[in-house]
Amino acid sequence: MVTDIRTRLLGQDVSFPVDESRLAYWLVVMRLIVGWWFLHAGLDKFLAWPFDASWFVGGAAAQTTLGPILVLFSDGILLSFTNVMVPLGQTLIGLGLIVGAMTRLAAFFGAFLMTFFYFVNGETGGWSHGVITGDLLGLLIFAMIATLGAGRVLGIDAYLARTDLVRDHPRLRHFIG
Amino acid sequence: MTQLTTAERIALYGGGGLLLIGTLGIGLLEILAGAPHPVSGEGQIVHETLVPLTVRSSIMLLGLLLWGAYAATSVAREPPTDTSV
Repeated sequence: MVTDIRTRLLGQDVSFPVDESRLAYWLVVMRLIVGWWFLHAGLDKFLAWPFDASWFVGGAAAQTTLGPILVLFSDGILLSFTNVMVPLGQTLIGLGLIVGAMTRLAAFFGAFLMTFFYFVNGETGGWSHGVITGDLLGLLIFAMIATLGAGRVLGIDAYLARTDLVRDHPRLRHFIG
Repeated sequence: MTQLTTAERIALYGGGGLLLIGTLGIGLLEILAGAPHPVSGEGQIVHETLVPLTVRSSIMLLGLLLWGAYAATSVAREPPTDTSV
């Protein structure tokens, strides 16, 4: 089953045919593995509650490129917010990807979180394994999942896309797969 | 297959370009003109860099910010009416 991917690059039509059956297989596998990665990370923190992110938003992280932003969250109510939002965000992102619900929104926030992990882990470790790290690749996979709208393959987004709410408010489709 | 606006073109090509400069471009420069990259007994790369790592980080961060801006602002764009795409 070959389908044409209609796409453009640098103003040129670079549409290409692709075997759709394998594309669906790949999207689901990628969604499930990346989803489990984040769901596990989130649940782990809840199971070992309380979670303390002060090491991540303060300390060595203060010297990184994102330090000026991160230190704002290193104490008080913003630290409490971070302590809840990191595990909650990871859990919801993971769940969203696994069940394919609000997939693009989940993938966007996955990439958002990975940006912090990438720079803080990389810079505090002196980029000792180079600048292409697992964190950067994770970020790129989230971007790929958002781009391909992977939630409509065996996902709840396939149902959400057909609801009256989404038909009446088409901009909601930016958030679903 | 929607056409990109100028702002979207800047965000996508600018963001992707900066990320490619930060990874591939500077990486190639370090290999061609920089010091060798020996790996220590602990598996860590030990080398002096031509381009300071903070500069490289900042270039990549700016690229990611442009991508993020594209994603965030695309919500304002009206998607195609066909819900199958």
